[in-house]
Amino acid sequence: MSQDVPRTLKTAGVDVGSSSVKVALMVDTEGERAQLVSGQSERIGRRDPIQVAEGLYQDCLQEAGWTREDVSYVATTGEGDMLEWHTGHFYGMTTHARGGLYLDPEARAIVDIGALHTRAVVMDESAKVLGYRMTSQCASGSGQFLENICRYLGITIDEIGPLSLQSDDPERCSSVCAVLAETDVINMVSRGISAPNIIRGIHQSMSGRYLRLLASAKARGVVLVTGGLSRDVGIMRSLQESADEQKTPIQLRSHPQSVLAGALGAALWGAFRVRKLATQGVSLSLKTAV
Amino acid sequence: MKYCVGIDLGSTTTKAVILGEEGRILGRGITNSRSNYKVACDVALSEALVDARFNLVLQGLDQSGLDETEAADALELLSLRFREQQYRSDLAAFTEAVRVLPEMKNAEAEFREAFDEVMSAVVGEASELFAPGASRRSDFFRDLLASRYHPMAEEVVRKGKVGFNRLVALFDKAILRVENLPPDPGRFAPYAKAALAAIPGSDPALVQAVTAAAGTEMEAVGSVGTGYGRATLPFPKEQIRSEILCHGLGAHAMYPRTRTVLDIGGQDTKAIQVDDEGIVTSFQMNDRCAAGCGRYLGYIADEMNLGVQELGPLACQSTRKVRINSTCTVFAGAELRERLSLGENREDILAGLHRAIVLRAMSLLARSGGVDSEFTFTGGVAKNPAAVEALHGLVKDNYGDMKINISPDSIYTGALGAALFARRGLLNQEKSAQEVVQ
Repeated sequence: MSQDVPRTLKTAGVDVGSSSVKVALMVDTEGERAQLVSGQSERIGRRDPIQVAEGLYQDCLQEAGWTREDVSYVATTGEGDMLEWHTGHFYGMTTHARGGLYLDPEARAIVDIGALHTRAVVMDESAKVLGYRMTSQCASGSGQFLENICRYLGITIDEIGPLSLQSDDPERCSSVCAVLAETDVINMVSRGISAPNIIRGIHQSMSGRYLRLLASAKARGVVLVTGGLSRDVGIMRSLQESADEQKTPIQLRSHPQSVLAGALGAALWGAFRVRKLATQGVSLSLKTAV
Repeated sequence: MKYCVGIDLGSTTTKAVILGEEGRILGRGITNSRSNYKVACDVALSEALVDARFNLVLQGLDQSGLDETEAADALELLSLRFREQQYRSDLAAFTEAVRVLPEMKNAEAEFREAFDEVMSAVVGEASELFAPGASRRSDFFRDLLASRYHPMAEEVVRKGKVGFNRLVALFDKAILRVENLPPDPGRFAPYAKAALAAIPGSDPALVQAVTAAAGTEMEAVGSVGTGYGRATLPFPKEQIRSEILCHGLGAHAMYPRTRTVLDIGGQDTKAIQVDDEGIVTSFQMNDRCAAGCGRYLGYIADEMNLGVQELGPLACQSTRKVRINSTCTVFAGAELRERLSLGENREDILAGLHRAIVLRAMSLLARSGGVDSEFTFTGGVAKNPAAVEALHGLVKDNYGDMKINISPDSIYTGALGAALFARRGLLNQEKSAQEVVQ
């Protein structure tokens, strides 16, 4: 016996990463494109990720004018399964594929550049994952690496993109290790190399790494950059330039909401699961513990 | 006096060791490395020459019949006053360097006065900084000045309307200029004289010993360079030796029965096997990844807002074993944050991190041929008690009870090896010259 599911569902996606938490609240109406009602991202810093997620979820509910009881499904991804109040958990590659496709329906792959890991996911037009590749136990070229560099250069992470675009003579960055590269950067500063040229050199070396990852996952066509670095115009420019130089048949895109891709995908999968379970006669009771 | 010099240009510090004609160590010098490698070498050498002259003073005092403790005390006081003179002259150079900065020239009177206020406070406490028994974080001018300039600047900022960041920016710019000034080769005599003058009623024996030491001619007859930056040293190619060779030979000179050397430096880690002459038979090196190098601990210290020298003693207080799962330094930093937020004990995590770095070194050791006889541990990490403890445990577990040598002068191992190579080259030259004559 099938249970009645309202035509319109309210779901939440919570993506707990290693450096920030992302929350997306969505309204999913059958037969229509789902709507993002509230989406926010917050850095964890030295705090407890569970508390940061709790606080951010509350903020989003408030922005949307919802209560916890309005939400039919709280879907987590990343390390979100540590949250007691989640309904279900989804793997990062499926949520990023789904979220990526939602943001850019033409995308057939995503590259998620996070604080510690980068992953390339190739999918079809229905967000089915066809293949993926992930960086291993090494932070070379990660978001955290770039953040460390910022600290040494005395600039903020938001300034890095515009500065990179000002570069006229990028300085090649040879060191692969995220930590030993810092020494290289300090040496560059003392040799009088400008911040834009240092940053661009680093962007180029990072781009090379991401393109190899995309190539090994056999990405083609439109690739959406997601994760924290999708806002960095410098890395976007240098990724596309490197791809063109290597004649890789991909077109890189970003979206203002790229950073929310995992959370968006989770919320969408949550709505999908509510409907799927209803056809099997299962209704979900939401865990609303605070 | 003729001498041979070995210079080890490392990523964090530059070391010089000078040897006399009989192969005895005359003096050692160290400075922080900087962007100008030539200056770093010159400063390390000039420090080693100063050290050599101090040793001459000590010899002079011994000969004058002063007993050992008296002589050591007199030398200690002299050396403190000498350092103070050096510091004051560096402070003057720094002030001068700031004055010519455009930021300073174009600044409003208020800002210039604020800087003057900071500097007069810094200069005012110079004697205090070098009082007997006073503690200093490091003797490098950069660190010395930073440890006084920044707190003074904070104080001045609190009183006035001048921004802290602007004052710090002056420091960052001017310190580079001062550090890259070439050292004054003839500065021993005037500084020693000023130092003597600052010691009221100094012993005539001391005055005589200083005069004799200052008057001794020092002549370099051989030099060899090594270290991370050796390719950029201002030496001809035949006077450059790899760090591996120099560390092997240096460790052999310190501990002749050594057969295995482990060097954990700032940027790389080396496991070296040597024969009974100190000549390298095999080695393994990691200079690609910070995990397992000293920088790993430096990174962790930054993450925890601690000084790198504070980590070891803290880790030694651990009561429970924690296993760190990450290899990569950055990941270990993330794991550290995660574990702290889960409420794990800081000391225990730190002990786990020390074990992790030594474990990486153990795999290098194993690949280079293991440990089957006396073992010498060198490099900056050899000063860290927690790393030493972890190494003792792991060597015992893997190879049984082995003698582990750690010298308080282990930081000079590479430079000593280089100096020995310089001396060896000189002896070979003399030998072949003699053969030609015959």
